[in-house]
Amino acid sequence: MGDRLLEARGITRRYGRVEALAPIDLGIDRGERIALTGPNGAGKTTLLTMLAGVGAPDAGVITWTGESAGAVGWVPQKPALYPRLTVRENLRLFAGLEGTDDAGATAEGLIARADLGEFADRRAGALSTGTLQRLNLAIALAGSPALLLLDEPTGTLSPDQRVRLWAWMDDLVTTDRMALVFSTQSMDEAARNADRVLVLAGGRLLHDGPAGDMDEAAFMQLVGDPA
Amino acid sequence: MRALRSGALLFRKDLRVLVRSRGLLAVLIGYPIVIAILLAIALSGGDRRPGVAFVNLDAASGRTVQVGDERLSVDDYATRLEDDVDLVRLDPAQAEEALAAGRVSAVLTVPRGFIADLQSGLKPPVLQLATNPRSPIEAQAIERNLESAVFRLNQALATAYVTQVLNLVDLIQDGGTVGIFGRSGTLLGLNESSTELARVQAQLRRDGRGALANRLGPLRDYISGVGENLELAKPAAQAIASPIKLEISEGAPGREPLSALGIAGALVVGIGLVGVLLAAALLSSEREDHVLSRLGRGLAGPGTIIAQKAVLAALACAVVGFVLLGVVALSTSVSVGRWLLWLPALLLAGLASGAFGLLIGALARETRTALLAGLMIALPLAVISLIPGNDIAYWASALAGFGPAARTFQGLLVDPEVTSSTYSGMGILAVVALVYGVAARVALGRRMHA
Repeated sequence: MGDRLLEARGITRRYGRVEALAPIDLGIDRGERIALTGPNGAGKTTLLTMLAGVGAPDAGVITWTGESAGAVGWVPQKPALYPRLTVRENLRLFAGLEGTDDAGATAEGLIARADLGEFADRRAGALSTGTLQRLNLAIALAGSPALLLLDEPTGTLSPDQRVRLWAWMDDLVTTDRMALVFSTQSMDEAARNADRVLVLAGGRLLHDGPAGDMDEAAFMQLVGDPA
Repeated sequence: MRALRSGALLFRKDLRVLVRSRGLLAVLIGYPIVIAILLAIALSGGDRRPGVAFVNLDAASGRTVQVGDERLSVDDYATRLEDDVDLVRLDPAQAEEALAAGRVSAVLTVPRGFIADLQSGLKPPVLQLATNPRSPIEAQAIERNLESAVFRLNQALATAYVTQVLNLVDLIQDGGTVGIFGRSGTLLGLNESSTELARVQAQLRRDGRGALANRLGPLRDYISGVGENLELAKPAAQAIASPIKLEISEGAPGREPLSALGIAGALVVGIGLVGVLLAAALLSSEREDHVLSRLGRGLAGPGTIIAQKAVLAALACAVVGFVLLGVVALSTSVSVGRWLLWLPALLLAGLASGAFGLLIGALARETRTALLAGLMIALPLAVISLIPGNDIAYWASALAGFGPAARTFQGLLVDPEVTSSTYSGMGILAVVALVYGVAARVALGRRMHA
C-alpha cells in the first residue's frame, strides 16, 4: 500500500435537481481492493462512471499519478459487448479500440487468461451468464488497465461463478498489482473481497475504512433503516 | 488518427454485424426496395385513365366542319379524346362542383365558337383544361394524356385538310365535277385547258390567222407553268401534313416504361428508408448492447461514431440507388446516363437521410422504437416529397432531405442539361446532412456521458 494511483478531490455530480454525488474525496493505491456499498440510489454507479471517465463530474478533479494515467478498465453492470460478434472478435475489436499494437495477440492472451478458449468462436449472444460476465471483464482488461472498476460484477452470477470471478480478481491484484473498485449490495462480499469499504448514501460518503470495520449491523446503523 | 482508426474498426464491426443479421438486413434494405419498386409502378401509371369533366359550350351552334371526307362536330372531337381519358359530360356548374369535390381530376371546356374557328382557319381553336391544384400528380397525368390526344387529333385534322387541298389541286389540274352553293358543274382543268388551247391554236393557223394563234402562246405557257408549280406543291403539302413523325415500337416483353417521376419516387423512398432505418438501427443497437458507456470512455467519441455510421448509411444508399437505377436501365427504355453525377447525388441523399436516422437513433431508447419512429416519420415525408410544384410539400419533406433529393433525381433523369437547381439540390442535401449530423452528435454525446 501507499503507492498512490489516483486522487479524487471534491467530485460532485447532479442530475437535474437530484444531487447524485456530494463533494467526495477519494484516494486509490495500486493493488488496493475497494468495495463501494450503499442502498439503491446511493451514487455508487455515478462515482464509478466518474472514475472511469464515462461521465464528467460537475466539479472536482481526478488526478492520476505515475505512468499509467487514465488506464482504466470499465466493467458495466450489464455486459457491454456485441452479441452478434464472437468472443474473439469482441476482444480483437476492443483491443483495437484501446490502441494496442497487436490486437490479435492481445485478444488471444485475454482468451487464455479468462479461460474462454472453448468459447472463442462462439457468438457472445449465445454464452451463458457466467461466461458472458467473464468476457465482459476480459474486454475491460484489453487496455492493460491499472485500475479496474466493476459495477456490481456478481449480481447475476451463481455461487460457483462468483468464486471463479473473485479468484481471477485476486490473481489480477497480486500478479498485476491492479487496483480494484467494485460496487456491491452484499456486505459479506465486500468484507470478503475488499481491503477497504466505502459506504455511500444519498450521494454522500458516510464511511471510508478497513473492510474489517464494517459489517451489516454497522452498515444499518450508518445508513439507517429505510422502513 | 486515433478517431480514424476507431471509426474504421467500428465500420468493419457494423458490416460484420449486418451480414450476420440477415433478418434485420432484409427489413432494412429489402423492405425499402420492395416499397420503392411498388411506388415506381404506381407512379408510372401508364394505363391509368383519369376522369375528366367535359363541358361543351359550343353545342348550341350545332355547327359541323367538313374535313376531307369527314364531317366533324364537337361530339366527334370528344369521342376521339375518350381514347385517352374518361370524359363525363356535364354543364359548367356541375363540372365546377365535381372538380371541387374531387370527383373528377380536371374540367375540359370547349368554348363557344370552337367549330367556327376550326372551320375558318383564321385562328386556332382553343380547348380549355382546368385541373385540380390539390391533385398535382393526377393533373400532370391528365395534361400529358390530353396533350398527346390533341397532338394526335391535330395530326389527323392536318392530314385531312391536306388531302382536301390535294384533291382540289388534282381538280384544278385534271378537272372534274365540283359542287358550289348547292349546284354542281364540271371543271375543265388546267391540262384539258392547255389541250383545248393547242387545238384552237392549230385551227387558227389552218385558217391563216397565225398572228392570233401566236398570241395564245403565252397563255399556254402560263397554264403549263401553273400546272408544274401545282405538281411541286403536292409533296410540300404532304410534308406539312406530318411535320414530325413519331415512330412508336413495342419493346421486348417485360419492358415497361417508367416515368421520371416514378423512378425518382422509387429512389427517394428506397434511399430515404434505407438511410433512415439503417442509421437509426445501427446507432440505437449500440445503446441496446450497452457499449456506449464503454466506447465513451475515450475509445470512440460521439463524433467518430456518428461519422462512421453516416458513411456506412450513405454507402448502403448508394448501392441501393445504383441497384434500382440498374434495374431501370436494364428493364426499361429510360436512359439513366450521367453515372458520374449519380454517385455524389446518391451519396449526399444517403448522408442526409442517414444523418436524420442517426438523430432518431440517438434519441430512441431501443432499436425497435428507433425503427418504428424512423418508419413513421420517413415514409410520409418521402411520399409528400414526390408532390410536384408544391413548396409546402417540398420544404416539409426537405426536413429529412427527401424534397431536394427528389428534385435532384428528377433533374438528372429528365433535364437535357444539368442545371444549377440540380447542384443546389445537392448543396441542400449536404446542409441537411451536416445539421442532423451535428444534432445527432450532440444527442449521442449526452447519452454517452449521462
